Amino acid sequence: MKTNFLKLTLIALVLLTASCSNDDDKTPEAVAATATNIPAPQTGGQAGAASGAYTKFSFSENKVVTTDKWDIAFRGTSIIVNGGAKVVTTDADEPARTGQGAVSIVSGTFSSVITFPEATTFKQDANGAYAFPTSGDNRWYDYNSTSHLISAKAGKVYVVKTHDGKYAKFEIISYYKNAPVTPDPLKTEDTRFYTFNFVYQANSTTTF
Amino acid sequence: MKLKITPFMGLFFCGIAFGQMKDSIAVDEKLVEVVVTGTRTERVLSSLPLPMTIITSEAIVKSGVTRLSEILNEQTGIILIPDESGFEGIQMQGLDAAYTMIMIDGVPLVGRSSGVLDLSRVSVGNIERIEIVKGASSALYGSEAMGGVINVITKRPKKDVFTGSVSYRYATFNTNDANANLLWKKKKFAANLFANFNSSDGYDLDKSTWLKNIEKYHNTTIQPKLYYDFSENLKLIVSNRFYNQKIDNKAVIETKQYQGDATENEWNSQIKLEHNWNSKFYSEYELYTTNYKNDAFLNDENSSLFEKSYYNQWLFRPEVRNTFSIRDNKLTAGIGVNHETLDRTYFDSNVVFNSQYVFVQYDYNPTERLNILAGFRYDNHSEYASQLSPKLAANYKITEDFSLKASVGYGYKAPDFRQLYFDFMNPSVGYTVLGYNVAESRLKELEDQDQIASRTSGINFNDPLKAESAINFNFGTFYKRNKFRLDVNAFYNSISNLIDTQVIALKRSGQNVFSYTNISEIFTYGLEYNSTYNFSKEFTVSLGYQYLIAKDKSVVDNFENHKFVRPQGSGTIEISKSDYFGLFNRSKHTANVKFLYSIPVIKTDINLRVFYRSKYGMFDTNGNQVLDQYDSFVNDYVQANLSVSKQIQEKLMLQAGANNLLDYTNPSQINNLAGRQIFARVRYNF
Repeated sequence: MKTNFLKLTLIALVLLTASCSNDDDKTPEAVAATATNIPAPQTGGQAGAASGAYTKFSFSENKVVTTDKWDIAFRGTSIIVNGGAKVVTTDADEPARTGQGAVSIVSGTFSSVITFPEATTFKQDANGAYAFPTSGDNRWYDYNSTSHLISAKAGKVYVVKTHDGKYAKFEIISYYKNAPVTPDPLKTEDTRFYTFNFVYQANSTTTF
Repeated sequence: MKLKITPFMGLFFCGIAFGQMKDSIAVDEKLVEVVVTGTRTERVLSSLPLPMTIITSEAIVKSGVTRLSEILNEQTGIILIPDESGFEGIQMQGLDAAYTMIMIDGVPLVGRSSGVLDLSRVSVGNIERIEIVKGASSALYGSEAMGGVINVITKRPKKDVFTGSVSYRYATFNTNDANANLLWKKKKFAANLFANFNSSDGYDLDKSTWLKNIEKYHNTTIQPKLYYDFSENLKLIVSNRFYNQKIDNKAVIETKQYQGDATENEWNSQIKLEHNWNSKFYSEYELYTTNYKNDAFLNDENSSLFEKSYYNQWLFRPEVRNTFSIRDNKLTAGIGVNHETLDRTYFDSNVVFNSQYVFVQYDYNPTERLNILAGFRYDNHSEYASQLSPKLAANYKITEDFSLKASVGYGYKAPDFRQLYFDFMNPSVGYTVLGYNVAESRLKELEDQDQIASRTSGINFNDPLKAESAINFNFGTFYKRNKFRLDVNAFYNSISNLIDTQVIALKRSGQNVFSYTNISEIFTYGLEYNSTYNFSKEFTVSLGYQYLIAKDKSVVDNFENHKFVRPQGSGTIEISKSDYFGLFNRSKHTANVKFLYSIPVIKTDINLRVFYRSKYGMFDTNGNQVLDQYDSFVNDYVQANLSVSKQIQEKLMLQAGANNLLDYTNPSQINNLAGRQIFARVRYNF
């Protein structure tokens, strides 16, 4: 009887400490949110060069920022990341890069991207080359020349290394104000408003 | 008074009786009906081993329609659809308009826009019969007969006669259609003179835009045909057809309005000699020339010339056909030459195609119940690889009223002038389209002008563009019992080397440069059902239904590339292969019900046709470039056409009715469906 009781207590103690230690080592949950109607106005761009201020966004603060602590920035359909060098050096409106940001493009549904991609797949902006491609398969949007509709491509998830080395993943939902089911691309006052889902992970270097 | 009425009444009843007889004969006549398109010889329809649909002139008159496009749209398995550029063409067995050959009296029409031939060019005023053969028919007709052929056979006087008709029809949208048709034969001479005038204000489904769906137009058709019988065994036919159409041409480019005209001129000339050497040997010598011209211009707001375009296509075809009759069987052999030229804007120079062809066909009856059709055609072409198109078909009569038929055939469509030589830049959007044979040199020119940002990797133009080809299977049955008649046909088409556009380079302006390539493999299969039931001599109901599946084989095999979709305004979801719906612009189910009700007492015929088209997708709306069940579709719809004809005395007929009786429109998604159109017609036969 006594031996059984001792054994039981020992097992209970082990279980307790084990569960305790699991709690202590558990990673805090990543922050999931949706950024809605981030404005991205642009002047010109059809015939001549584009101009106008980029809208800077920070994942950790989940809002538009005007400081140097930004992760990605939008202007029209162009997206830049806060890492590397200015793409168009003659563009005074393009912000200088102040962080170690980079972006990697993953195919899949948003929830299926759990582990961070290989470090070699991350690209930064460079002179004459956008990290967020402006043409080809990995461009974030498709343009339909008949309907003039800009639709975010399906199955593209962007994993961003933020300006301070943390990680976020985002998926663009819409380019139109309030992300409507049937956007009217000819209503110019409602275009150039980004809505995207994102997950920000400040506490891990491997998974979301 | 009484005496006077009786003979008149007698005539009256005679007229009805004759009318009734004609209707009941019509049903039995169908069994001994003679057709020509399936074999290029005269053949009995009931034992023809190919799926063929006949539209009689009575059916055309009773429907009240005026153009070929309208009457074809009412047939099972044929649907009139606009492609992305808005050109309306017919779709048969799931194959696009470019794959069906359109013929008048056995010779083809030319002049297609992006492969589509505008069927409203052909008036139905002097049609004797329309024969439609579905399935690959290149074994007799060569290129373009990949999906089938449609042969419009015009009236021909068979015995001494002087008869004719004039008619006038007025419809909604200020649409006028006036016809005059004269048939005359006296001993060795015969003539068929036909004239048609058709005009309309067009229609506009969206009054807020300046452009209309169909702009105002008027056209004239004149078709004189002359016949001379040298003897019973040597007959000459000289047939000419002239067509002229003028339509308003409007365009909006970068918010500016441009206006002008587009003029079409068409001339078909057929000279044919029918020579019966003896009871066993028959020849036809034919010379066919056709010219299609389209000239269009646009003026700006100050009436100064902004843009001019022209299109001038010639086809010159001499052909000789011989038929040897060996007991019950027929061996047909033919030889011919095609000389085709096209001169148009967006082509650097006048382009010439030359081809020679030979075809052989054996129509074999080994037993009384079995009929076998075997044949092939060999085409030798100057611009693409030679084609051998074989075909084999068989019909087995299990009983007089029940037979089975099966056929397998090869069809092809040569790359057309546009796919090889086009050089076009769209001024309002900025993209460029280059034909395959000129792409390499033009790209180099654009590169030298520093207009190219990048070229798509892996694309070169070293090998010639291949012809599109198809293998087609048909299996069907014909069944008749008392008042019921049934026709069922199951079909399968496997099409390879489909020519489609692809991006070959990106311009610095951000716009693409397109060219053509042999891209896909598609397959279509389905079932076509047609039945007719004569409830009584006065009332006939016919039912038609087609089930169609049309899919891109490369999408089915590589669905991994299309498994992510993004519905507008939400995140990506993953879908499975079974969610793939199929090709754009194709409905899975189309059906029609036709009621023909005669009231002999008042000599009236009521003809009601109801059509159903199930949902179809026009574009990919969720980002995976293919049509899946999560995309936005054009809703299914029902449409009805009604026409009521009344015979007044023996020679005068009045007709009134409505097309699109239910006034169904879908302006944002369907741009070729006008609202209800009411019409009235008067016709005088003499």
